[in-house]
Amino acid sequence: MSHLALRQVTKQFGSVKVLHGVDLDVRDGEFVVFVGPSGCGKSTLLRIIAGLEDASSGEIHLDDRQVNDVSAADRGLAMVFQSYALYPHMSVRQNLAFGLENSRMPKTEIEARVMEAARMLLIEPLLNRKPGQLSGGQRQRVAIGRAIVRRPGIFLLDEPLSNLDAELRVVMRAELAALHKRLAATMIYVTHDQTEAMTLADRIVVLRDGRVEQVGTPLELYNKPANRFVAGFIGSPRMNFIDASIARTERGSGLDIGGKHHAAWGLDLPHGSPVTLGVRPHEVDITEVEAGAMALEITLVEQLGAETVLHAKTTLGGAFTLTSPGQGRFLVGDRIGVALPPDLHIFDSEGQAVSRR
Amino acid sequence: MSIVSETRGQAPSLSIVLAAPLRLVMGALNAPMSFVQRRFGLGGMGAVFLAPNMLIFGVFVLIPVAINLAYSFTGGMAIFFGERHVVGFEQYRTLFACGDYTQPATCREDAFWQSIHNTIFFVLVQVTVLVLAALGTALVLNREMRSRGFWRAVFFFPVLLSPVVVGLIWKWILQRDGLLNAVLVDYGFDRTLWLAERNWAMFWAIFVSVWAHLGFYALILLAGLQAIPRDLYEAAMMDGTGRLRTFWRITLPLLWPNLLVVITLALIRAVQIFDEAYVLTGGGPGTSTLFITQYIYETGFAHVLRNLGLASAASILMGVVLVGLTLLQLMASNRRNREGNR
Repeated sequence: MSHLALRQVTKQFGSVKVLHGVDLDVRDGEFVVFVGPSGCGKSTLLRIIAGLEDASSGEIHLDDRQVNDVSAADRGLAMVFQSYALYPHMSVRQNLAFGLENSRMPKTEIEARVMEAARMLLIEPLLNRKPGQLSGGQRQRVAIGRAIVRRPGIFLLDEPLSNLDAELRVVMRAELAALHKRLAATMIYVTHDQTEAMTLADRIVVLRDGRVEQVGTPLELYNKPANRFVAGFIGSPRMNFIDASIARTERGSGLDIGGKHHAAWGLDLPHGSPVTLGVRPHEVDITEVEAGAMALEITLVEQLGAETVLHAKTTLGGAFTLTSPGQGRFLVGDRIGVALPPDLHIFDSEGQAVSRR
Repeated sequence: MSIVSETRGQAPSLSIVLAAPLRLVMGALNAPMSFVQRRFGLGGMGAVFLAPNMLIFGVFVLIPVAINLAYSFTGGMAIFFGERHVVGFEQYRTLFACGDYTQPATCREDAFWQSIHNTIFFVLVQVTVLVLAALGTALVLNREMRSRGFWRAVFFFPVLLSPVVVGLIWKWILQRDGLLNAVLVDYGFDRTLWLAERNWAMFWAIFVSVWAHLGFYALILLAGLQAIPRDLYEAAMMDGTGRLRTFWRITLPLLWPNLLVVITLALIRAVQIFDEAYVLTGGGPGTSTLFITQYIYETGFAHVLRNLGLASAASILMGVVLVGLTLLQLMASNRRNREGNR
């Protein structure tokens, strides 16, 4: 187990800056997930921690030791690659043992560790096979096993599940969570899949364009997104965004949504300021068209059994998604109204969450 | 196929115009083709399409090989087969008549055995040096380096030269009043007869052929190196694998199929060594760089006593060796395909 601290880490490839000063602390035994869209710098950040890339500036501390100039091998970390990176010409056993042999560990110790990892991951029967003879899920286990045998300070996992089919991904996700508990290891996990992030993470780091947008527990990010990007990225189906403006009337402060007044408290912005409202699909109630804060026309109905997902367009032309519990009887073309919840997410024109008094 | 795909997204009028003559030809071929198909059946069409190529292959390869074999059982100086007399295995007996195969001078055809000795020495040294040099070059070119494309071109350039040109260039450099001696004399050294001293002549024959072929093999190995995923090296790096161990345990095993192809191809080509060496040294001094192909050529065509029978027998023997090496190469590449498919 190790802890990690990043201080103002930047990375530049030629003239392209891919990381703009990342600060982060990862505690002992924590499961931290880096999440963000493609090209946000999450994999680069992981590779910098691993020592496979050098940071252009900033400091990397492992257990209070600055490791910027320490080689990947000497950082005591293990990485699971997206492609698994198994040596194709070696058996599973040799793949697991290869890293340990480098450290001139006694043979009996190597064998013991290989067997322990193989038992843990249920790959004992595969030890004499070559990677080419394994299924995707089995290769994934071997790749994780190769990290486990080294007993690293931190496990670094770079989109480890993205090459698996959807069903297997769910299974392996649960196993990874169990493994984390069992090993009590520090893990840093990179994914672009917010569901993986939500289900696995102790804390999530949301990255965009080389900047940390927000760090927090899954529910913190879900309930109190710091900005519009995080709000849109975390949660499925995605949060709806509605253009509105601040309306101060004799009745107090409120919001003007397409000409309709909507009460809202504690907003410090001046009258007329443009804002964006964020509403999660399950937070709205369906009403009669006239009674709702907004009128919608349904464009697509997805029956999931336990709930119904409705895709609709607003009278202003924007798209809106909402869910209704159970198996609602909706038809494409139906017009419905929606009542907005009292505690809307409100973002200013910069996209930052507006705090309420 | 290509016409159809090119039509997409482009002005259709142009491709229709371009395709028109093709359509005309194809239309004209329709009737004869259906006649041929009726005649030979659908299954026979494969053979029909192969026939032209087989005809060329037969006329220029198979039939000459058969003629060659037949000639090796005949004697005399006549060129036409009908005028030659059959001697059975006499030519082979002549070639193999020898007191001690390790001492060419004790053999009846001492030049033949000398050329075999020279060829074996040449093949062993040249292939070893060539493969190691090609591997080294490929490893260097595979690194991230400035103007990599330029360096690749530099090493590949000699491959584009005709072997005779290669021989002439180096002869011009190495001959008595050549470039190398001129430079040496300028710097106060003595002239060396690079091509007229036994050991130097062999050295330069090997050097020049390595120089001429290096780029080709380096390119094959470079392709193999680039096919090794970078992830594997990164995984090895995370595992703390040293550079030498990474090379032995990861690079070499994964490059092995390419290396095997390179070794066998280099072997086959080294056994066939002729043009560069012939132009460069002419087999000399004496017979010190006389290789088997040159022996065959001179025995059959250049010598005043044209001994076509003996030359044919020698070339059949050489052919057997080459077939053996080719089978080796086929086995190597078959194994590679099987492993690739798994």
